[in-house]
Amino acid sequence: MSTTMTTNPLRVGLRQERVIAPQCLVIFGASGDLTHRKLVPALFELFMQRRLPSEFAVLGCARRPWSDEEFRSKMAEAMADKITDNPQAWEQFSAGMFYEPVDLQKPEDLVKLGGRLETIDRLRATRSNRTFYLSVSPKFYGSGCRALADAGLLRDPERSRVVIEKPFGRDYSSAQALNKVVQSCGQENQIFRIDHYLGKETVQNIMVLRFANTIFEPIWNRNYISSVQITAAETVGVEERAGYYESSGALRDMVQNHLTQMLAITAMETPGRFDPEAIRSEKAKVLQAARLADELEPWNCCIRGQYGPGGSQSAPLKGYRQEPGVDPNSTTETYVAMKLFIDNWRWQGVPFYVRTGKRLAKRLSEVVLTFREAPVHLFDAAGGSPTANQLILRIQPDEGAEFRFEVKSPGSGMRSRPVEMEFSYDESFGEPSDEGYVRLLADAMLSDPTLFTRSDEVEAAWRLYTPLLELIEDSPWRLPIHPYESRTWGPAAADSMLARDGLLWRRP
Amino acid sequence: MSPQLTLQTPLELPPSEIPAYLEQLWAKDQPTSQGAHTFCLLVWQPAWVEQQLVRTGRINGPITGVQRDEVITAARQVVSDSDLPLTTPPLTASVGQALGSLNGDQQAEDLRGQHVDAAVSTLRPRRLITLAPSLDASHPLETLVAAYCPLPEEGGGTAACGDVVVLRGGYAALTQGLTILQPLLPEDLPSWVWWNGSLDEAPELLEQLAIAPRRLIFDSALGSPHHCLNLLRDRIEAGQSVNDLNWLRLRGWRETLAMVFDPPQRRNALGHVVQLDIDVEGEHPVQGLLLAAWIADRLGWELGNSEPESNGIITASFSRSDGASVTMRVAPVPVGQPSIHPGQIVGMRLICQPDHQPAACVILCAESGGCMRLEAGGMASMELIEEVVPVQHSRVEADVARLLEGGHDTTTPLLAAAAPLAAKLLH
Repeated sequence: MSTTMTTNPLRVGLRQERVIAPQCLVIFGASGDLTHRKLVPALFELFMQRRLPSEFAVLGCARRPWSDEEFRSKMAEAMADKITDNPQAWEQFSAGMFYEPVDLQKPEDLVKLGGRLETIDRLRATRSNRTFYLSVSPKFYGSGCRALADAGLLRDPERSRVVIEKPFGRDYSSAQALNKVVQSCGQENQIFRIDHYLGKETVQNIMVLRFANTIFEPIWNRNYISSVQITAAETVGVEERAGYYESSGALRDMVQNHLTQMLAITAMETPGRFDPEAIRSEKAKVLQAARLADELEPWNCCIRGQYGPGGSQSAPLKGYRQEPGVDPNSTTETYVAMKLFIDNWRWQGVPFYVRTGKRLAKRLSEVVLTFREAPVHLFDAAGGSPTANQLILRIQPDEGAEFRFEVKSPGSGMRSRPVEMEFSYDESFGEPSDEGYVRLLADAMLSDPTLFTRSDEVEAAWRLYTPLLELIEDSPWRLPIHPYESRTWGPAAADSMLARDGLLWRRP
Repeated sequence: MSPQLTLQTPLELPPSEIPAYLEQLWAKDQPTSQGAHTFCLLVWQPAWVEQQLVRTGRINGPITGVQRDEVITAARQVVSDSDLPLTTPPLTASVGQALGSLNGDQQAEDLRGQHVDAAVSTLRPRRLITLAPSLDASHPLETLVAAYCPLPEEGGGTAACGDVVVLRGGYAALTQGLTILQPLLPEDLPSWVWWNGSLDEAPELLEQLAIAPRRLIFDSALGSPHHCLNLLRDRIEAGQSVNDLNWLRLRGWRETLAMVFDPPQRRNALGHVVQLDIDVEGEHPVQGLLLAAWIADRLGWELGNSEPESNGIITASFSRSDGASVTMRVAPVPVGQPSIHPGQIVGMRLICQPDHQPAACVILCAESGGCMRLEAGGMASMELIEEVVPVQHSRVEADVARLLEGGHDTTTPLLAAAAPLAAKLLH
C-alpha cells in the first residue's frame, strides 16, 4: 500500500450514531423536486451507513396517481449515479418504499392514508411510529398539519412528528398565525421546523468550539470583540427559482432563517446543559435581544442590492432582471447587508454585520469575529499598523477555522506581522461531512429537535426584520435597490455602511 | 429510568393453556386489546450468581436478573473471600461455582421476566418471554403470564401493550416447556433471542432457541473463548443476524484508533504496520482477537500463521498487501479490579515503519488502567501518538435496548468480517 489512502480504512462503517427507531417516513410532495434531489438520497445515505433499522419504510404521497413501482423507478432514475455502485443496496432499500396518492385537502384521502399506514406497520413492523415530512407548497403547511391531526395521525406525541420546510411564514404575523395552527394540531415537540444550515457540521461546530473549550468563552463578549461579520455568499444567480424568489428575495430566503441562525448560535449564552430545550431557549433569548442598529431609520443600517449583468465577453452573465421568469422591472433584492445590535450584557455596543447575496465573487459562508486592538502598540507593524486578531469560522466551503494574530517578524528589529493558525476539516478528518439533510432527517426521526427551530425562535427572527419588511412594503424608495455587477462583492453602498464605522468587509 | 414491574400479578397457568390464553387476550373482539406491533424478545435469564448470592444470604431478594451494583459488589466480595484469583470477573461461572459450595437456603421472590428494565420496556415489546432456570435442577415447570403496559411517564401510551411470559424451573423442566414457544412468537413480528448467560451452558437449548430468522444477542466474553468464537463464526456464516455485546463494547477502541488515522497525513502509515500488540484483562482473549481481526480485515492483511504460546499469549503473523509481514500478539495482563466483562482490552500498540520516514508508534490505553508494558521498549526514536480510550459505563440492558431499537436483521458487516478471522487466530 504505497499509494496515498484517500479514505481512512479504519473509519469505514464506524460512525458512532444514535439509533433510529423503527418507523415510517411519510413524504408529502413526493413527486416534487426536493424528494428526489435531497430527501430520498439522504435516506439512502442513511441506509448505506446502516443507520436505518430493518423495520423502516418510506411512503411517498402526492396527488399524482403513481403506483409503488412507479415511485420506486422514478426515484431510481433520479438517483442513478448513486445507485450504480450499490444496486443490491438500492434493491433492499427500495423494497421499503411505497406510494399513496393523497390530496391533503381531501379528508377521505387521509382516511385512506391511515389504512395504508396500518398495512405498512404490519408489513414492515414499523410500530405505528411515523414522521410526516411536509415538502409541499408553504401555503399548505397549516392545512396539511390540520388534516393530519383531524385524521388522528398526530395523536400519539411520542410516535408521530411533522417536519416543516422553510419558509415558515412570510413575516411576523403570518409566522405567528402558522404557529398557532400547527400547535393546535400537536405538541411543540412534535413539530420540526427545518433549516438546513443547522445541519451543517460547521454550524454545529460553532457550539462545540465555544462550549467545549475554555479558551474562547471568556473572551467571547463585548470586552474583547469589537465586531462580528456573518457572510453567506453565492456565485449562482436565481437559476430556476425565479417564481419563488421574486416573492421572497434575499431577506426572506436567506437572512431571516440561515443567517439569523448563524447569528443566534454565535451570540447565544452558554446553555445549562446540552439539551434541545436549553439550547433553543438560549437561541430564542438572544434573538429577542437583537435589533436593527437603527430601527427608526432602517435605511441607515440596511442595504439592498440586485445583481446586474457581468462576467466576461466570452462568458457573459445575465442580470437578475434578464433572468427567465423575473419581472424586467423587479425590485426584489438579491443582496442584503445590514447592521444589528444585541442588547444584552454580553454584546452591548458590538455591531453584527450580516450580508448575503447571489452572484457574488465567491461562494462562501463564514462568521468572522474581530477582536479589539491591543491598548498600546509597543511594536512597529510590518504592514503599517497592527492587524486586529480575528477568529474566522469557515462554514463552507473549505470548512474549518482560522485565527489571525501578530508575531515577531524575523530579523533584528521588533516588528510584528500577522500570521494564521489554521484548522481544516479536510486535513484533520479527511472525510466529507454529511449533507445537511442526512443529519436533519436522522434527527427528526430520532425526535431530537436540537437542530430545528422552535416557534419562539422563528417568531423572534421575523420580529427582528419587521421594520425592514414594513418599510419595503410601505415606502420601498427608502430602501432602494442598489445594482451591482455580477461576480463582484455587492454594491458600493454596503462598503460605505461599514466605512462609516471605520471598518471594511472581509475579503476572503 | 427505573425498572418496572408488570401492572397485574402474573397468572400461573399450565403451559398448555398459555397460547390459548394469550390468543384470547389479544383477540380482535376484545374492546381494550390492541397489542403493540413491535417485536418479541426471548431471554435466557439464568442469573446464577445472583441466585447463589441470595441463597447464601449475601444479598436480599428479589431475584431480578438485572445487573445491579448490589449484585456486583457482593460478587466481588466472593472473589476475595473464596481465594479466587483477583483477576476473576465477578459475574462469571467460577464465582457461581464458589458460591455453590457454600451452605445456605435463603429464599427470595423470583421476579425474573416480570422485572422489566425500563430501557427495554420503553420500546414496548409485544411479547417478552423469559426462561428462568432455577438452582434446583428438579424444580418443576412453572409458567406465568401477565399483560403489560409501560407507564405513561416511561413513554407508554394507552393503546399499545404487550405481555410477559415466564417459564421457570429446572433445566429438564424448561426443556419440556419449549414446545409452547413457537406458537408464542408471531411470524409477522421480528423475534430476538437474548442469551444472557455463558455460551458454554445449555448448548442444546441455545441451538433450539436461536433458530433463524430470530435475531441473536449474546456476549462472546461469557464462555470458553474457543466456543464463543466458533459459535459467533458459525452463526454469522449461516446468515443469522448476530449481535455480540462484547463487540459492541469495542466501539470506543475502534473509534479511537480510527480517530488517530483521520488526518490524511497519517493515513499512509496504515499501509506500513509491522507490529500489533493488544493487552487484555485476564485469560479471555476474545475481545482482543476481535479487535485484531477488525484491524487486519480493514487493512487487507492475510493471515499467515497463528499459534498460542505457553503463558496465554497468542501470536500470529500476517502479510500486508505489499507482501511485508506484520506480527500480532494478544497477551493477558493481570489487573487489580477486573471489569464485570471478562477479557476487556487494557491497551494496544501499533507500530508503523513507513519508507524513508521515522517509525510511528500508536498506543491506546484504557482509561481505567496503565499501559506501562506497551510503553516500554525501544520506541524513543519513533513518533509517539498516545490516546486514552474512555471506559464505557452503559449497562448490559441499555446495550441490548440499543440493539433492539436499531432493529437490524443482518449482522453488522464489520463483525461479519472480523469474527471468522478471530476464530482462526485462536486456532
